[in-house]
Amino acid sequence: MAGQSDPHVSLFSAEELEFMAEDELVEIVPNMRMEPLNLLCGDYGPFFPQMVTQVPVWLAIALKKRGKCSIRPPEWMSVESLTRILESERESQDVFQVLPFHYVEISKLLFDHAPGDIPDIYMVRSLIEDIRDVRFHKFETSLESFEAARSSAVRINNLSAMEVNIARPFVSRALQAFYKHTSPDLVPNAETVPNRWQQPADPGQKRTLRKR
Amino acid sequence: MYGRKACQLVKELTTGEKGQLMPFNSDLFDQVIAECGQHYFEIQSLTRKMEEEGLDIETTKNEDHYGSLIHHLSLVRNKRCLMAYLYNRAEILRNLTWKVGPVLPQEIQEKLSHLEEDYFKKHSASLKSYMSKLDLDLAVDMVPPKDPYIQVRVLDDIGDGIVLSDDKTANFAPHSMHFLKRTDAEQFISRGLMEELTG
Amino acid sequence: MANYYDLDDIIAEEERVSVVFRKAVNGVGIDASAETDCVEIDSKVELPFWLAHELYLRKVVKLKVPTCFNQKTRLELGADAACVDLRSRCPYFYEFGCKIARLFNSCEPETRVEGRDLGSFLLSAFENRYKEVLAKAHSAAFAAASKCFTLLTKEETTMYEAAQSSMAAFKKWRMGGPRFQKASILGRKRKPTD
Repeated sequence: MAGQSDPHVSLFSAEELEFMAEDELVEIVPNMRMEPLNLLCGDYGPFFPQMVTQVPVWLAIALKKRGKCSIRPPEWMSVESLTRILESERESQDVFQVLPFHYVEISKLLFDHAPGDIPDIYMVRSLIEDIRDVRFHKFETSLESFEAARSSAVRINNLSAMEVNIARPFVSRALQAFYKHTSPDLVPNAETVPNRWQQPADPGQKRTLRKR
Repeated sequence: MYGRKACQLVKELTTGEKGQLMPFNSDLFDQVIAECGQHYFEIQSLTRKMEEEGLDIETTKNEDHYGSLIHHLSLVRNKRCLMAYLYNRAEILRNLTWKVGPVLPQEIQEKLSHLEEDYFKKHSASLKSYMSKLDLDLAVDMVPPKDPYIQVRVLDDIGDGIVLSDDKTANFAPHSMHFLKRTDAEQFISRGLMEELTG
Repeated sequence: MANYYDLDDIIAEEERVSVVFRKAVNGVGIDASAETDCVEIDSKVELPFWLAHELYLRKVVKLKVPTCFNQKTRLELGADAACVDLRSRCPYFYEFGCKIARLFNSCEPETRVEGRDLGSFLLSAFENRYKEVLAKAHSAAFAAASKCFTLLTKEETTMYEAAQSSMAAFKKWRMGGPRFQKASILGRKRKPTD
C-alpha cells in the first residue's frame, strides 16, 4: 500500500517500485577486500579488489557511496544496445522490445549514484528517455484499439514495472467504464455488440511479474 | 424539494480542493436531521388518518398511502446521505493517523465535530496499543527509506526540550538545520514543521 | 449495485426527471405548482431520480426520458462527440444515463420503446469521447488541456485526473528531491512565522 501517496491513484508509488528494483543484481568491481556477507536475501562476496562480483543494486549503491567499488552498468545500458532497441521500438507499432522489468528504475538509480561509471552517460540517458517515450506513445495507441474491439481486456507484452504503474490508474478506470457500458442490462441487443468481454481469461498465459 | 439539503451535505465532500478536509457542517447536518423528524411526523399523521377512517394500513393503496410512501422514501434517502457523510469523513480520519500522526494540528482539529475528535483519538489509541503489542512502529517508513539519517531544516517553532529516540534533546530553533534519525524526523516533516534537505 | 456510501452515486441520483403521476398523493410538498399539499392524477412534476425511480417501480408515476438524452444531444454527439459540453448538461451523464436505461429495460414495454437504445447510445458516446480523453490524458500540460477539460463529465474527469496525477507522480520521482513531505491534507501554505 502506498504510504504517503493517495491509495486510490495507484497501487504502488514510484518510490516503492524503485525500492523493489533495488533487489535486482548488478556487477560491481570492489577495490577492497571483505568477507562474504550472509544476508537474509542471499550470500554475497567474498570481495577482492578488481574481482567482478554480483550484488543487489541497493548493496552496490551503499558500497559505491563509501567509495568501496565501481558499478559495471548492465549490458543493455550500452549505447549500441539501446540504439538497437530504440530502432526496433520505432519499427514496429505492435511489438514492445524486451527490456529488464525495472529498466526505468535501475537506470535512474545508476545515473544518480554512479554517473562516473557509465560510459557516454549523456547519450545513454537520452536514449533511455527516447525509448520510454516511444514505448509509452505506442502503449497509448494500443489503448485506442480496445475501444474498437469492445473488449474489457487488453494484452500488451513486455511492458515494464514503471510503465504499467503509470498507466494503471487510467486503464483500470477506462476498463471499468467499458465493462459497465457494455453490460447486457444496458445494451440488451446482443447482435450489435460482440460479447468479447465474456471470454474467460486464459489462465495459462499469466505473466510472471519478475524474471529471476 | 425533499432530500435537497442532504444532497448538499454530500456534495460538500466532493467539492473543494482535492485531498482537503472541509469543516464539519453541523448546521446543515442538524437541518437534515430536523427534516427527517418532519417526515416521521408526516408518516405518523397520515397513518393515523387512515386508521381513523377504518382502513387497513397493510393493503390500502389510497392517496394517503402514497403520501406516506414518499415521506418514507425521503427518510431513507436522507439517512443514506447522512450516513455517507459520516462514513466518508471517518475514512479520512482513519487515514489521518497514518498521514499526520496521532497529534492533530490545530487547522485539522477545528474542522472536526466533537464526536469525530473522539473517534480519531480512540482510533489512534487502538492503533498505538496494537503497535506496542507488535513492538513495531508501523507508521514510520511510509516511503521506502534510503538512509537511516537525513538532513532536515526546521520550518516552524517546534519548541525545545523534545527528546529524541536516542534520549538526547535538541534545540529545534526555526531555520536551524539538523542531522536526525529519519524515524525521529518523519513525524515533524509530515506535520509540516520540518523539511527534508536533499543533494 | 453501487456502494451505499458512494458519494458520486448519491449525487447522480439527485438528477431531476420529469414524471407524470398516475395516482393521486396526499400530504406531500413535492408539486411546486399545486396550492395544497396534494398531487392530482396527471400532474407533471420534476422529481429527483431517487424518488422517481421508486415511484416508477410502484407504478405511481410515468417517466420521461430526461432532456440530456434527447434527440438534440444525440445529434450533436453524433456530429462531433468530443466537442459537446456534456458537463453543463449533466455532470453525471453516464451514471445517470445508465440508471435510466436500466430502469427502462427492466420495465413495461410501452416505455421501453422510448428508452430502448439509451444504453447503446451511452456506449457509443463514451467510446467516441474516450479517444479524446486518452489522447490528452497522459501528455498535455494541464493548462493547455483545460479548455477541453471543462467539457468532460464526472466519469471522464476521473479518468483524466487519474492519468494526470500518476504521470505527475512519476515526473516528480524522476526529478528527485525530498522523498518524504508534509501530508497533503494539511494546507500547502506555510503559516507566516516571521
